[in-house]
Amino acid sequence: MEENTNLAVQVPPLRCMTMEKRKKVIAFFRELGFEFNISRFDDRLIAQKLVCLLELRGIDLGYSCSMYVRGPYSPDLTQDLFAFTREFENLETGSRLNTAEKEAAGELGRIFGLKPVPLEVAATYGYYAIRQNCDPLEALRQVKRLKPFYSEAQIALGISNAKEFLSKPTREDLEELKKETGIWQRASLKSLEH
Amino acid sequence: MQNDILSILNESEALNAKVFSLVRLKLLASLAALGPDGATYRELRAALGINDGVLFANLNVLKEMGYLTSGKITSEGKELELYTITTEGQDEWKRTRTWLCRFLHCGA
Repeated sequence: MEENTNLAVQVPPLRCMTMEKRKKVIAFFRELGFEFNISRFDDRLIAQKLVCLLELRGIDLGYSCSMYVRGPYSPDLTQDLFAFTREFENLETGSRLNTAEKEAAGELGRIFGLKPVPLEVAATYGYYAIRQNCDPLEALRQVKRLKPFYSEAQIALGISNAKEFLSKPTREDLEELKKETGIWQRASLKSLEH
Repeated sequence: MQNDILSILNESEALNAKVFSLVRLKLLASLAALGPDGATYRELRAALGINDGVLFANLNVLKEMGYLTSGKITSEGKELELYTITTEGQDEWKRTRTWLCRFLHCGA
């Protein structure tokens, strides 16, 4: 039987691309110091929302996010997290982040600090604001509809974080944002003390 | 006509008729997309807009049929109920979806 040379040429690059996108995500986990554990629900949630936020910021990781009952979500990422658990948990990667990607990872870590709730709120808000082109009020309404179990303070904090991570605000914008959300951020921090 | 309606209707005998309620179809479709990750009760309730009584009853029916499993998880210090689709549930959802597509002539 003759070997199908076309197929032999096509399959390896496809496999490489699939592996490459996985390795890039692991490189982000490593940069963020994220010790992923598949058995922890919050870790799986953090992984999903990190990837969605990076995609929303314009970094193409190859895991497209769409709206599901859990908010913006990538079933392809879930498939890889469960199929290549050891690689994700041991942060096995040869992939390196470029300057823009390192900057994005740094901001992601600084703004969100690997906390699941702000990440989830921010990814949901960002998805409606950017992908669905909703105005800020409509995006807020959608977040509240989809995540009614989060407090007003948690939602305000998540949205403020989303704006900081996903847009490049001017100094004036940041001052305005600080005034607008300061009361909620203080309330949120206070509630954490109890 | 390539797919005559009578044979399509007869193929439905291979399906589980108990799946054919709007709420159960919504639940299977939602959870099939999430695979082993699953979704919490509160996420399903909020996203699908189904009231507690109806949601709880239908989740239990799907569990009894072996299509879903549930278990406790902890998120941000809170204990929540997580629902996950089983292999049987995925298979039944695939069969149902394929048949519905054929029924609606969308060429599956």
